[in-house]
Amino acid sequence: MSKNRKSMIKIKPKKFKVGDIVKVNFIVIHPMDTGLTKDKATRKIKPAHYIDSVTFSFDGKPFTTMKSWETVSTNPYYSVNFKVSSKGKITVDYTDNQGEKNSKSKKVKPKG
Amino acid sequence: MKRREFIQSLVASSALAMTISPSVALAEEVKPKKKGPNDMDYQTALDTITNKKEAKDSDKIKLTVPEIAENGAVVPVKVKVDHPMEETNYVKAIHILNTKNGNARCADVNLTPINGKGYFSTRVKLGGTQEIVALVELSDGSFIKTAKSVKVTIGGCG
Repeated sequence: MSKNRKSMIKIKPKKFKVGDIVKVNFIVIHPMDTGLTKDKATRKIKPAHYIDSVTFSFDGKPFTTMKSWETVSTNPYYSVNFKVSSKGKITVDYTDNQGEKNSKSKKVKPKG
Repeated sequence: MKRREFIQSLVASSALAMTISPSVALAEEVKPKKKGPNDMDYQTALDTITNKKEAKDSDKIKLTVPEIAENGAVVPVKVKVDHPMEETNYVKAIHILNTKNGNARCADVNLTPINGKGYFSTRVKLGGTQEIVALVELSDGSFIKTAKSVKVTIGGCG
């Protein structure tokens, strides 16, 4: 099961060269329910719904794998460093505990 | 009724009331605690990650958290590790833990030398005033950690 979720990858700073270390920020719109809160309209406890694994990869090779729990905030934000070696594509795959699978990718274009 | 009997009955009844009342009060006070799907307290989380190895306090890790968080639902956490990232000597993993939430684990990040620097940043929920612990695993299998306390005025864990 997959659902279209809004997500975004940002690379900071915008201009970089080969060999630079850049920040890769990943933000996704996700409720991250803890399984403790009540829905005010229906008065039922919302089941837990959170992202449990995130993988950052460059040209198909994973460089950071991550496990996250429901204690991460709503609309989570993950940021890691990355050493630019060549042109390529950064892909972020994420799954949540209800089986949703999604991915987002962005091209890496070093100058100089 | 004779005076002696009356006093005896009074004492007996009051003693009975004394024995019953605390148990009743206790039963009313203790409520079942809310339980999340994967609750784990801080000590067991630490033991499962480190496999009961010792984690030393170190000033190599820079942990940036706000001293006072107005909203416990969004607390920014930044971890920087002052350690080289070479092929054989690098930061293997960064774990972010808390001491008093139902689930003590926030995020477990596995890094590789391609990252260039030991850095991770995210936002977490905190249910109350407590400490955030950054536990770092190095490639030689040793563990280091630092802790910082955060004051939370409004809790954010449902």
